[in-house]
Amino acid sequence: MNELRTIARKEFFQAITNKGVLIASFIFAIWFPVFTTLGILAGISGDPGTALAGHLVSLTVVLAIFMGYLFSADAFFREKKDGTILTLLCAPVSLRQIWEGKVLGVATAAYGMTLLSALITIAVAFAVSPVGISLPWLLLVHLVLILPIYAAASAGIIGAAQLYLGMRENQFLGMGFVFLFIFLIFALQTLISPEGGVTLQTELFFGVFGIVLLLLGRRWAGRLSKERIVRTIA
Amino acid sequence: MQAIRAENLSKSFDGRRVLENVSFSVEKGEIFGYLGPNGAGKTTTINLFLGLLTPDGGTAMVNGADLGSDDEARRRIGVLFENNGFSERQSAYENLRYFANLYGIDDPKDRIDELLGMIGMADRAYDPVGTFSTGMKRKLGIARAILHKPGILFLDEPSSGLDPDAQRMVRDLILSLSASGGMTVFINSHHLDEVQRICTRVAILAGGRIQAEDSVARLTASGNESSIWIAFEGGKVPEDALISLRTIPVIQRAVPEDGGVTCTLSEQGSAADLISALVAAGFRIEEAKKRSASLEEIYLRYVHSGEDAS
Repeated sequence: MNELRTIARKEFFQAITNKGVLIASFIFAIWFPVFTTLGILAGISGDPGTALAGHLVSLTVVLAIFMGYLFSADAFFREKKDGTILTLLCAPVSLRQIWEGKVLGVATAAYGMTLLSALITIAVAFAVSPVGISLPWLLLVHLVLILPIYAAASAGIIGAAQLYLGMRENQFLGMGFVFLFIFLIFALQTLISPEGGVTLQTELFFGVFGIVLLLLGRRWAGRLSKERIVRTIA
Repeated sequence: MQAIRAENLSKSFDGRRVLENVSFSVEKGEIFGYLGPNGAGKTTTINLFLGLLTPDGGTAMVNGADLGSDDEARRRIGVLFENNGFSERQSAYENLRYFANLYGIDDPKDRIDELLGMIGMADRAYDPVGTFSTGMKRKLGIARAILHKPGILFLDEPSSGLDPDAQRMVRDLILSLSASGGMTVFINSHHLDEVQRICTRVAILAGGRIQAEDSVARLTASGNESSIWIAFEGGKVPEDALISLRTIPVIQRAVPEDGGVTCTLSEQGSAADLISALVAAGFRIEEAKKRSASLEEIYLRYVHSGEDAS
């Protein structure tokens, strides 16, 4: 447990001190949601609180996944690319503990950034809306329970993939993820109309799907071997 | 007592045999040099010992344990790879603290301070590792590798990329660790001069097999039984001496070297025969000594024969 905490703490601080990743995550986390939210608020005819919550539900899930991807780069890909992971693999820690510790650290940073993005978006919406906004309590459940699952699932699957794949495949994975990000935004906006708001069904769907993704990542990580990691280092 | 043991170790990558029935052992407290050309399988061997790779055949044991499956056994070994294994954005202290926590060292501050003092980096403790020179990173890497006082240390190219001063410092550090702590050190190196200076025993790997394994002294001695270096009176090689020397039956080859001539004797020839023949031929000898070959010559001989055989 102590080892897991040690790895998680290191990865968290690594993530929040990487200026390049921080700038990229700020652009996605602040600029993008704030402007799309303003657009949604300007175009709706119903209750702005319901529309804002409905918009945030799908947007923050995609953001949590993307933040998980962004912050995974240092923890998994760079350590593998530089070969520094070899030293960690020789420490008295199991491969499972290494993966879990890294996922915990990365997911904490990714979740923090996603939550910050949601809070700033809400604050901006409150500030610019000409009418009062009342948010449903289910949004709080979404922000507190659902988003951490997606941040962890994203970091887990991407982390396992980065450890499993070779350097060239990892570059394709990076490009593919950007397309997946764009696809997810449009798909979720189409499937879940903002004006429908946040419902128990959508939260249950997101919750179950997120847990399935998390378990998939865990299962993949369980199939990883040190030999696979070593042999796919550049 | 054996600290490291490889028995019939074999490993292939994508059908290409890298190691074939490699067997050797390292006794506790030894400084063991593992030599071989690029691609010979040295790093593969280290990775097999460390449990990072699984052998196709044979066993690789460290302290009687398989490090691939025994997490606790890894607590008793230290490792330094060529890349040092540091997070460049974190300070030297933070990096050491991270590994101290992973190895379960209680209250590690004193130990970290002691090590940073030992390698002369106490004043850089809180600087990011990314600002350090290659030599400083390597010294810090050794400090990290011995942080938890392991009984066995694996060093992959410890002097790679270092200037002569730093090389000497690393060499002295390895010697003092072995002398004072009885640490077993396994060195994978291309620096033959360094290996010759510090290793008690070496193994030479080529063509996927161990070509030689012995003490440095015995290996270099075995390779020079028939070479004698001769210095002539006046400190100069007399004119036409080489031509005359080559006509003497006990001399197989005569090569000018270090102000004298190195004579390789024929199979039947002895040092006494050589001296008698030279005196009889009218040469005035000032000094004659058995020539000590470098590890490099021995290494090249074994490597070439190993590569030819494979």
